[in-house]
Amino acid sequence: MHLDRYTSFTTDYQDYEFYSDGPKGRIKKTVMFTKVQDNPIIYNLAFGDVDPHTGIVSDIVTTDNKDRDKVLATVANTIHAFCNHYGNHYIYAKGSTPARTRLYQMSITRLWDEISIDFEVHGVIDNISYEFQKNVNYEGFLVKRK
Amino acid sequence: MAEVKKAVIEKGYGDVVVVDNVKSHANDPFFVKKVEDAKKALSKITLPGKKSK
Repeated sequence: MHLDRYTSFTTDYQDYEFYSDGPKGRIKKTVMFTKVQDNPIIYNLAFGDVDPHTGIVSDIVTTDNKDRDKVLATVANTIHAFCNHYGNHYIYAKGSTPARTRLYQMSITRLWDEISIDFEVHGVIDNISYEFQKNVNYEGFLVKRK
Repeated sequence: MAEVKKAVIEKGYGDVVVVDNVKSHANDPFFVKKVEDAKKALSKITLPGKKSK
């Protein structure tokens, strides 16, 4: 992918952090991959903002730092780095709320031409996964690097 | 921001730097809940290419 993105940092290729820069300031973001299932192996991708005072992570607050696509491209890049070290397994992602999941979906749609080059993306509706299609509302996503 | 002690640029994907001090949030309540929710959801989800559960 050749999209503009932030530099991310990792120690173990499972936890990543990077900083969003925009009108709301510099906001620390974290991405974590956790194995949640064997046979087939599936990892969960969790993503949120780190509170600068408490260190607590949340994705409830809408940052609105005007860099949504750059942030998504950065997260996609962490998937590449993760897959380089742990293999191309399914990665499950879902927002904390339906509105948050919808924001993810809108970003995937906007960046689809780039994302679809490197990733299979499936959307989940009523516990069934389907090939991702634009303009369909999903409850979660399964992503696998090609 | 993490102090860069050992920087390795991932070839081909760029922009990922290995440092010694990225904190794991594995025990953070936010991530614990996300993982538990994912396990529950995946136990019911029919994966691509599989028959419905």
